[in-house]
Amino acid sequence: MNYLYDGSFEGFLTCVYEHYYTERADGIFPEGAYQLDMTVRAMSVLSDEVKVQKVSGAIVSKISKYDMERIYRVFRTNEPDKEMKLLRYIVLGFGVARSGRNGGSIRLLHGNQTVLDVQKAEQRIGFEVHRLCGLIRFSAVRVDHPSQFVATQSGSGNKGGVVESGMMVAHGGNEILYARIDPDNDVLEFLAEHFSDRYKRNPFIIHDTKRGKALVSFNREWFITDFSSGDLLVDTDSEQDYQRLWKLYHEIMATKERTNPKCQKNFMPVRYWKNLTELQTFNLG
Amino acid sequence: MLNICFVWCRILTNVRFLFVGVVMNDAVFRKLTLLGEGAKYDVSCSSSGTARVNMGNIGSASCAGICHSWTADGRCVSLLKVLLSNDCLYDCKYCVNRRSANVERCTFEPEELADLTIEFYKRNYIEGLFLSSAVFGSPDHTAEQMLRCLYILREVYGFYGYIHAKVIPGVSPELLSALGLVSDRLSVNIELPSEKSLDLLAPQKKPKAIFAPMRQITQTQTEQKTLKSAGNMARLRPEGLNVSIGDGSLDDARALMAKNFSNIGNEVRVQTTSLPDIRRKYKEKFAPAGQTTQMIVGASPESDMQIIKMSEALYRKFSMKRVYYSAYIPVTDAPELPSRLAPPPLKREHRLYQADWLLRFYGYTAGEIFTDDEPNLDYDLDPKVIWALRNLKYFPIEINRASEEELLRIPGIGNVSVYRIMRQRKIASVKYDDLKRMGVVLKRAKYFLTCSGKYFGNCGFDPVSIRAALAGPEGAQLSLFDVRNSQNELSL
Ligand code: SF4
Repeated sequence: MNYLYDGSFEGFLTCVYEHYYTERADGIFPEGAYQLDMTVRAMSVLSDEVKVQKVSGAIVSKISKYDMERIYRVFRTNEPDKEMKLLRYIVLGFGVARSGRNGGSIRLLHGNQTVLDVQKAEQRIGFEVHRLCGLIRFSAVRVDHPSQFVATQSGSGNKGGVVESGMMVAHGGNEILYARIDPDNDVLEFLAEHFSDRYKRNPFIIHDTKRGKALVSFNREWFITDFSSGDLLVDTDSEQDYQRLWKLYHEIMATKERTNPKCQKNFMPVRYWKNLTELQTFNLG
Repeated sequence: MLNICFVWCRILTNVRFLFVGVVMNDAVFRKLTLLGEGAKYDVSCSSSGTARVNMGNIGSASCAGICHSWTADGRCVSLLKVLLSNDCLYDCKYCVNRRSANVERCTFEPEELADLTIEFYKRNYIEGLFLSSAVFGSPDHTAEQMLRCLYILREVYGFYGYIHAKVIPGVSPELLSALGLVSDRLSVNIELPSEKSLDLLAPQKKPKAIFAPMRQITQTQTEQKTLKSAGNMARLRPEGLNVSIGDGSLDDARALMAKNFSNIGNEVRVQTTSLPDIRRKYKEKFAPAGQTTQMIVGASPESDMQIIKMSEALYRKFSMKRVYYSAYIPVTDAPELPSRLAPPPLKREHRLYQADWLLRFYGYTAGEIFTDDEPNLDYDLDPKVIWALRNLKYFPIEINRASEEELLRIPGIGNVSVYRIMRQRKIASVKYDDLKRMGVVLKRAKYFLTCSGKYFGNCGFDPVSIRAALAGPEGAQLSLFDVRNSQNELSL
């Protein structure tokens, strides 16, 4: 059986439930990405709160809380066929638990392909998060008309609410920080704690242009919301100057005797460049 | 005592409270160019070592260290690394800013640089500030200006990010104490691996002026640790240490700061933490990320063995967090220095870092890495392989039985792989195919290990054959030559 779900984590956990209680899963696909396959029956699964609780409770008690978090992190990746890789991991964990051993010990099986798949995907998202902690570039912007954008909490966060740009400006002393990213994995949530602590008095928005959502934070509180109004924001007067200074600094830091673009691209893959101030040519004043 | 009071009063009364950005003018661009250029050969860029959350207004420190960008030469940019001034009194032969060099001189205003740092930090360009300087005026005047910049960052802007300050040799103990309280990490450059070379190339820098601050930093930190856990004093305090009073001791610096903060209370509190917070913050915070140092490689004739022995001594004696090596890039033609056309010894620098790594993380000693016949590192193979080849009698090592220390000695196996092997061994034996998935570089490791009794190397188990197999296509000729040589000797 192929299960189709709405792309949410809850939807995925419901599919895990169906795998155990309805019929073995041959594949699990987000609805939009499913290519009709005549040889396998397909069924749409609706997220079901009770089933979600059952599955997540079982993972926590039979495998471990750590693995539950790990599964969530891997679910946020763009790993191909991540649903089935996770399902195999869960099945492995339940299997070990059923044989009377500690299900949480599966993470020690570094040589096992199923464990390795999950470990690799988790490493990749962890790495991207770490990388973005460095590679995100903010611009100081102002919002001319506070009514131009209103952000309302739609996803997770540590405090809920509705934010108007005016509120943020009030907290940020006439400016807010705005960054665009285009990450491989769905990382916004994992960036939240780091940046909201670091910039607790500077309201900021990190805009994931690929997924049309944003991390909005001010005063140490944050939430994730759908977002598209980044274009309405205008640079502050001195913004260009600081960008030029940074670009200048970046250039002089390179030692010409040691030029090694391959190494640079290795650390900072070209797909990130479009959002990196120092690698733009537009403001070479 | 009087002295510090004087220092702080001067610093505090002179601070202009700038909450609006410094007006940008061309001078800032010019200064950043010259003073960034002057600092870039300092290689210590790591921002790791302290972790803390933001208790001030802006900034935090992450234990793992964060790189923000990479330059065209592939180096990590983590800190805004600049000189406060390049207007140097001294005349170190290897330095672009030496007195006798004909370069444009300039100096940042402390306010200007603090502002630039905050604006860069806000945009997430950098992880913090690495502040160094040429000696302008005098060592103490230089340190005072640096301190003023850092003080503004910490207390006016409430900056909680990373600060690394370079200590000017010959600085007074009072100023050093104060610098340590506003910085995460301090470093005093050792510059050259021997007194003789120092004397020749940096005549104004005396070994004593370099080692005194190093010692003070180590002692202050030991003192701090000792005080934290009463009853441990006798055990932790190294011999000969006396907790000095009125000689740059932390209590003095702290008391003075507290006194001065309360004097200017309202002004400073505009946006920062209150006085009790500052007291708490400073309680155990003398350079929490420790001290590092840097050595220039290739400007003087010392062997690799001398260099690594020096590092070993520095690690032991001063509990250095790191010794950095910087391949000398010729800046001038002088009879004492390598020719201007000589390329920087990058390979050598790389191998030195590997040897240093063995000291710090793998439990090797300098005496093991070198022998008297081989006082220099082999530039074709890394020092770990060299050690293994020299000590083949300990190999091959059995993956499923060896201790952690033994596993670490296998070339191609690092700390992470050892950790994974040990973990898997608790519940299942490790198979050869698992090793690759655990991050082991089999290409190198296979010659030195067995897995459940089976050996996987595909050549003779002797140094010459393994060396030839490891050296790969480039090194192969060299190794063949070696083989021929050793055969000749045999036939002789
Ligand atoms: S003290 Fe020596 S190394 Fe430092 S800036 Fe002056 S001349 Fe250069």
